[in-house]
Amino acid sequence: MSPPRLTGALRSFSTVSKREEFTEHVYDLKVRAFWSKLHSQELFSREGLTWQKIVQFLTQHLDKAEQQSATQELKSILQAAKQIVGEEHGQDTIESAAVFLFETFHNKDHVGLEETRAIKQMFGPFPFSAADTCCAAVSRCVTCMKTDNACALVCVTRVTEADRHITAFGRNISFSYDCYALDPQEALPWTGGPDEETSGVGLDF
Amino acid sequence: MACAMVPLDEQQVTEAAGPMGKERTLPALHPDRKEERCFVPYKPPPEDSSPAEVEEFLEHGRFITEDLDWLLNLPHDKFWCQVVFDESLQNCLDSYLRHAPRGLDPSSLPSSPAMAEMQRSIHRAVFMTFLRMATHKESKESFITPSVFGEIIYNNFLFDIPKILDLCVLFGKGNSQLLHKMIENIFTQQPCYYGDLDETVPSILQVMDTILAKCGLQCEGAPATEPLKLNSHGRPSAMTMSQQDLVDLVLYLCDSCTTIQAFLDIFPAACSTFHCHSFLNRLASFYEAAVPDLEKAVRKRNFDDKSLQEDLWNRVCHSRRRMVETAHLMLQHTCLQPILEGSENIQMFVEELLQHFTSFLPEKRFLADYDEQFPVADDVSLLQQAFPLIDETRTSYLLQGVADAWDSVGRRRPQ
Repeated sequence: MSPPRLTGALRSFSTVSKREEFTEHVYDLKVRAFWSKLHSQELFSREGLTWQKIVQFLTQHLDKAEQQSATQELKSILQAAKQIVGEEHGQDTIESAAVFLFETFHNKDHVGLEETRAIKQMFGPFPFSAADTCCAAVSRCVTCMKTDNACALVCVTRVTEADRHITAFGRNISFSYDCYALDPQEALPWTGGPDEETSGVGLDF
Repeated sequence: MACAMVPLDEQQVTEAAGPMGKERTLPALHPDRKEERCFVPYKPPPEDSSPAEVEEFLEHGRFITEDLDWLLNLPHDKFWCQVVFDESLQNCLDSYLRHAPRGLDPSSLPSSPAMAEMQRSIHRAVFMTFLRMATHKESKESFITPSVFGEIIYNNFLFDIPKILDLCVLFGKGNSQLLHKMIENIFTQQPCYYGDLDETVPSILQVMDTILAKCGLQCEGAPATEPLKLNSHGRPSAMTMSQQDLVDLVLYLCDSCTTIQAFLDIFPAACSTFHCHSFLNRLASFYEAAVPDLEKAVRKRNFDDKSLQEDLWNRVCHSRRRMVETAHLMLQHTCLQPILEGSENIQMFVEELLQHFTSFLPEKRFLADYDEQFPVADDVSLLQQAFPLIDETRTSYLLQGVADAWDSVGRRRPQ
């Protein structure tokens, strides 16, 4: 338990803080652990390539007929992503997984050892047939988009960890971990009044 | 990303939404732009840490640092959407301010290096988050209209007076310049915080009265407390209360004095608000009443644990120092500085300073301790240089009063 604090009293007795009851346990750790996994899966796409950007690219750059066939391929990629991440996950997670697969396969014509390892590392054990279907769908989609355009889309929107680190707020701000602490040197002499014993009294610590 | 050179509060963004990426336009600062995230509240490091408790703390800490690092990586517009609309983030930050161990806490250091390292990471990430929240202009492109920024931080309780005090006591020792800029910006862009501070000072005075009441004392100038019940067994006192109550009282005093001193040191502009509530006189009376009583209790009570007794003694001494420094800060910023800067109403400030010193004369222990750290003679000499018309009889009387204070507490003034 925290020791008694001035600010604790001020929160209780003054009217300048939010009056709502402070909720200590809104989320339990299991919920947060699930989110952690989800976030690591989404991390690469959060500020880089997203499913919306892929869809947007197709809408803006392909004619109607090409769009129709590309949309079919996107559906296949999403379906394969669903099989790989698991049916229980929501649309956001499936789309993030689909982006990951799109990035992985955009310049590949088959599921090689490297791709298998990358997918397994990200999602755990997965049905190989789903990866195979996905790779073929991505390949057809990239053909519709023209291969160079697809590569450009992936490269331009890819945000590396290094890039992310450079942009972090406060990265260049020097921070001190010094804190207020008791200083035994500050111990002052006893200042009792004249009626107090002033001699022969030791703290005897 | 929102468009450039327009304040965030006026920006509109067009974003793809839904499975087929249908576009829509909305304000850059909009709840729909908040990311789904799950910030967990902070829990302090466990004191008697079993491996399972250590693991739990580390996992908890990892979640917090991951989330705050992610937040600090967000572009300006997304950062503010998260800050304003994500309640779990505010809970997380608030829980840190409430529960993070202060350097003054009895067991402030985590017992394992891994926990200490994690605590440091959280500490930095929380500070950087508050720093970013106190910054309305990050760059030429990323900024918020100052008045709107003031409304956002105030209306959403991103900062309030207790939080600002917590920030000072947690981070102020080594980051005072940054904190000064932060708090100054907060108060400048949102002057309502001065009003809140004005409302808070009586609660701080109440805390002092509570400490005195627990010791069975009453501060001069404090409102009369309830009459003693006829069937009560005498007044409570620092000598008779339980040892745990005494420990809590000393910890409370120590934290309160450190917090107030840290805040006024980092943000001296607040001195005038404290001054309006006669804080200085109340502080001197409080010191005079509480310090000897607590010192006596710590010295004379029988402690089985001598290290606890030594710790309490150090805390009382620490509190005394901080109170004296607080008094000096207030005198410096409300009277001395305007005099030295050659303010227009110099005579008024001289008079006020002399009145303060005169009002300290009956508070002999306080005056002697103040004089030891900040010799009154030095200030009087400064006054005489800045304002030669000063009444010499008055200053002599004052200096004699200081000498008497030393005599009456049975101490010799250092030469």
